[in-house]
Amino acid sequence: MSKSLAASKKVMKNYLSELLTEEPIVIEKIVGTTKDVDDKSRVEALLKNVNADLDVAAHEITTHKSLVTPAHFIKEEFALPDTSGQLKSPDKTILTTHKSQGNNPVSSPKSYRQGDFQALFFNVAGLTLAVPLIELGGIHNVDKITSLMGKPNWFKGVMLHRAEKINVVDTALWVMPEKYDETLKNSLNYQYIIMLNNSRWGLMAENLVDTVVLKQEEVKWIDSPSKRPWLAGLVKEKMCALLDIEALIALLSEGSGINQFD
Amino acid sequence: MSDERRSTSNKADANDEVLQWVTFKLENEVYGINVMQVQEVLRYSEIAPVPGAPLYVLGIINLRGNVVTVIDTRARFGLEPCDVTDNTRVVVIESEKQVIGILVDSVAEVVYLKASEIDDAPNVGNEESAQFIQGVSNREGELLILVDLDQLLSDDEWDELKQF
Repeated sequence: MSKSLAASKKVMKNYLSELLTEEPIVIEKIVGTTKDVDDKSRVEALLKNVNADLDVAAHEITTHKSLVTPAHFIKEEFALPDTSGQLKSPDKTILTTHKSQGNNPVSSPKSYRQGDFQALFFNVAGLTLAVPLIELGGIHNVDKITSLMGKPNWFKGVMLHRAEKINVVDTALWVMPEKYDETLKNSLNYQYIIMLNNSRWGLMAENLVDTVVLKQEEVKWIDSPSKRPWLAGLVKEKMCALLDIEALIALLSEGSGINQFD
Repeated sequence: MSDERRSTSNKADANDEVLQWVTFKLENEVYGINVMQVQEVLRYSEIAPVPGAPLYVLGIINLRGNVVTVIDTRARFGLEPCDVTDNTRVVVIESEKQVIGILVDSVAEVVYLKASEIDDAPNVGNEESAQFIQGVSNREGELLILVDLDQLLSDDEWDELKQF
């Protein structure tokens, strides 16, 4: 490993520590159970499939729309309370409304906030990031990326994958723009695109590290993400960021960089 | 197929308009412009610089007695300048009721695209050049960037060009 790359990784590690440490974190060793091991091997097999199908380029693929309506698309009906009595006496009551001051993405309860969940760890410029596996849309090898003019510099371009157009994000530049210099840029060896849920957005990654089953207590959850909505929490053992994928998609879609809320 | 279904299908086909696009290359990316706006494609000939011209103007050429202003497309798209080669072309276009030339690395072909084959470009970025992109299309595994020529220059810049 070159000296500059090692130095760069050290800088990244310090940077991550600064970024992530808000209060002393108790580092606990992750103890794997038999169930964990089973889950892990299952996930690894799934990930192999994800990579394996990248080689099948020439075959025609037929897709079918799901006939099942996703639960979150089903409108719920509510019985409205009878407010007619209250509406009859609005006199002299001045109602003041205020526009929301923030434009933070609205976050809904995450399915991985209950019980054990699996996360994929990947590396970018010496920095390890984690994605809840349930919000991983897929993994692709990096292919030709077409850059589009006028886009933010972290927007690497569009990559075609079969009929899909993937919006590729230069993860290092998005996550640590202040550390991104020519040396870091030249040291990057992006190999994979980590797809974010069902969106068109994909994060570039240098290496895939591992998939791990995490317990709730192994993550320091950040429940008031006013400043860093993209950060779901911190994985205590690995001292790395667990990404809030929905918030990240929202930020990317509006063209916001990581410092949007600073 | 029932008459009703056939009728619906025909309507869908009618709405799926086919447009022709002239494709050209800049910095290894392929761009497309509406063929209806292209008047002709010229080999590179000497472009006479105009003192005091805006940065986006390379200069002027004499096209059969008419003066045509040539735009520096690379600069406009935020790309580094490059040397002129045998493939360099000036595409003469009509936009905003003016005839101008745009200098490109090479001209490739004319392609047919259905409206349904054109997607919106990712809606991020506030830079001026982001508005040049009318859409993108997957053309045989290669991304074709469709350029809205009318947006290539601002209203003020189009007015400025009239002075040439």
